[in-house]
Amino acid sequence: MSAVTSALELMAGGYAAGALLPLAMPSPRAARLATAAGAVAGSAGGLLAGALVLATGTPVAAAFPGLVSAAGGIAIGLDRLGALFLALTAAVSLLAAIYGASYTAEYDGRRSLGAFGFTFNLFLLGMALVPCAANVFTFLLAWELMALSSYFLVMTDSARVETREAGLWYIAMTHFGFVLLLPMFLLMAPSADLTTFADLRAGAAALSPGVRNVVFLLALLAFGSKAGIVPLHVWLPRAHPAAPSHVSALMSGVMIKLGIYGLIRVAFDFMPGGPVWWGGVLLAAGCMSALLGVLYALMEHDLKRLLAYHSVENIGIILIGLGAGAVLQRFGLGALAAIGFAGALFHTVNHASFKALLFFGAGGVIQQTHTANMEELGGLIKRMPHTALYFLVGSAAIAALPPLNGFASEWLVFQSLLAGTHIPRPEIAIGFPLAVGMLALTGGLAAACFVKAFGITFLAMPRSEHAARAGEPPWSMRLPMLVLAAACLVLGVASPVVVRGLLVIGESVPGLSAHGAVQAPRFWLTVPGSPTQVSPLMIAALLGAIVVVAAVVLRMRGLALRRADTWGCGRIGQTPRMEYTASAFAEPLRRVFSELYRPAEDLSISAHPESRYFVRTITYTSHVVPWFERAFYDPLIRGTRAVATRVRRLQAGSIHLYLLYVATALVLALVSAWWLQ
Amino acid sequence: MTGLFSQLVMLGSSGMLLTALIVLWRRGLPAYIAAYRWQSWLLAAVVATIAHFGDDTSLYWVAGALLVLKGIAIPALLGAMRRRVGVTPQVTPFVNTETSLLVASLLVVFAYLLARPWMAVSHLPTREGLPLAMALLFVSLFIIVSRKKAVTQVIGFLMLENAIALLAAVGTYGVPLLVELGVFLDALMGFLVMQIFVYHIHETFDTIDVDELTRLRH
Repeated sequence: MSAVTSALELMAGGYAAGALLPLAMPSPRAARLATAAGAVAGSAGGLLAGALVLATGTPVAAAFPGLVSAAGGIAIGLDRLGALFLALTAAVSLLAAIYGASYTAEYDGRRSLGAFGFTFNLFLLGMALVPCAANVFTFLLAWELMALSSYFLVMTDSARVETREAGLWYIAMTHFGFVLLLPMFLLMAPSADLTTFADLRAGAAALSPGVRNVVFLLALLAFGSKAGIVPLHVWLPRAHPAAPSHVSALMSGVMIKLGIYGLIRVAFDFMPGGPVWWGGVLLAAGCMSALLGVLYALMEHDLKRLLAYHSVENIGIILIGLGAGAVLQRFGLGALAAIGFAGALFHTVNHASFKALLFFGAGGVIQQTHTANMEELGGLIKRMPHTALYFLVGSAAIAALPPLNGFASEWLVFQSLLAGTHIPRPEIAIGFPLAVGMLALTGGLAAACFVKAFGITFLAMPRSEHAARAGEPPWSMRLPMLVLAAACLVLGVASPVVVRGLLVIGESVPGLSAHGAVQAPRFWLTVPGSPTQVSPLMIAALLGAIVVVAAVVLRMRGLALRRADTWGCGRIGQTPRMEYTASAFAEPLRRVFSELYRPAEDLSISAHPESRYFVRTITYTSHVVPWFERAFYDPLIRGTRAVATRVRRLQAGSIHLYLLYVATALVLALVSAWWLQ
Repeated sequence: MTGLFSQLVMLGSSGMLLTALIVLWRRGLPAYIAAYRWQSWLLAAVVATIAHFGDDTSLYWVAGALLVLKGIAIPALLGAMRRRVGVTPQVTPFVNTETSLLVASLLVVFAYLLARPWMAVSHLPTREGLPLAMALLFVSLFIIVSRKKAVTQVIGFLMLENAIALLAAVGTYGVPLLVELGVFLDALMGFLVMQIFVYHIHETFDTIDVDELTRLRH
């Protein structure tokens, strides 16, 4: 109990030191190291606190009612669910801090690293406090701290137009979410001075079904805008590429997960046992997000934008697990529902590990080549073999290849969907198989997308000078990648153990609980009431055995390694221009899904003036139009502009008019007071 | 005794309102400054009257401070400002004199209407001054809105300030000395800031016609 409190104190102290010390540092290098040192200390404290609560299972609570007492004071509480997210946040923060120490070296002398360290540590503190908050004020404080500091981190490269645009989208979407959070909490709070989470739980239980539905929808929209659910995901593919890579890793790996945390906290903890359609809505939103996320990711040739769209996809998969679990639970299939919930939580953990890994890898590539455009990369596997290996592991994990962790969690989500056959209702008999199909398509497309991402970036020959001159990033950037790659493997191989732990966490949340009907897996991942089972450990052993046998056989046959040119169709010179490109790779899919993409193509051929058979240059550009963004956001933006233009007429610039407004307002106030009395 | 008290307060308040109306009616900055000076002296006199009849010695201090600050110091500063800016004697209003006076009379009627419920609950002998103070407040606001030159607006603001002081004095027998001092300081600061602005506007635009400030847009 007291150990957890001291760990939390270490967390707050470490982050505070990491925020303040860089400001006082004389050199950029010292500021970078101070930022990292504080962040590492804080994250270690957070990790320790989370791990202790997870290990002992005893919730911890601490209240400081004296701090900002008017708003209800600061209240900290850590239960199993919060501890999971705190540990996750702290673990990724720790690695990102180490990574950032070298990664931010490119800003030396260009911008204030003291200010960067300050916002970075505040961001980490905000994220760590969100799962620790135990009343509305603390939660909103941490939430806004996280949102605002991450906005400033996104704006690090504010000289670029894209960054400023991304910042605007991000701040607009995050405030949209915040505006919905306030009424959501207000509806649940029984009275203005009862705002602890325990009060909310009690208050939510007394709400009428109609109000509960409103609260659920508000939570879905508010937390969905943070998590990046389609169509609220628009800020992700803009903000993630604009931020420095370790910040992208944190935003994508952890921050959007806190949206999931909020959703679970409100929809499953405060208001357990919601109607079936809640699950259905989660499931539908998840399917849309997963499929559209991966489809748009396929069309991206910017490494970080591609990864950002994959975050949308993975949030979708998490929601599918939650939604399927909620539906199953409503029909009394608690044990099967627990599989879905465990799958969703597991995928949350897994996505944090492999997406942070991939963003770290992309950051290494960007640091070395100064571009994230895949069409200018290539051949990096020879220049940066370690980074390539880690990126490959991350790609395999996100593509759900066994025995890595992505496979285990997606398998669980699939199983929960297949369990829909137990429910004899027509809408579920149609909906669940449809979801299975969409998830399967998503999985396949994700694999294709990462074949593209890895293949075009790391294989073949360099497509630009920058790529040809790249080198391995420093060890402090490789170490976090190594740790995360190892985590992907361990979480996959040891998945039955992890799932057992997650089932315990699920039991502690009222809405996720199966009331003891859970069968904890031991060695195999199993599904209750079904013979289906799988063991990632066995798969890993089998794969290892195949590699060993193949190596032995090759050695015995005496086949030596032979280096030679790739067969180039008889051509003599091989140049990078003959290589497969990312656009070409994605072309078949773009044709198949042309209804969705509405691709705009522009082909211009300039021929020799003497004869049109001698072509000088061919320029081909194409881009996809995210039509629902157009359909959804364009009218919104136009409407806002129109209203703003009209309102601006009030601002005539004439002092007399302004003074007249003041005088009129005063007179009107007095008249209304006189009239009302 | 009480009759004399309320008669004196009413006389002072009416005089203050009259000085405000002078601004609407006369042209030229010296006349305005003189009107403001008279108004401040009357305010000091009203406060002193309340101090005498209400047996509140601290209000004598307030009256003295009012006299020194608003009756002497600020008019002197206004005079200095006038000399430095060198305003043309003709001060052009947005609204012509006849209409201004008509509007002012309507505002006075409105103030009496508004003050009626307040007068019903107040038992102070000074309550007759309440509608007059409200009327002064509205007329000052009208001066600010309807005049073009920045200096005139400063005078309107200062009269508004006087109106609030009068309202406090007749409504509650004055506020505590400390609060009153705070308000003085506030008014003085506001005045100094506005003075600087007037100079800057003058230097930048070669006029203190605030209508020209529209050019600052965009």
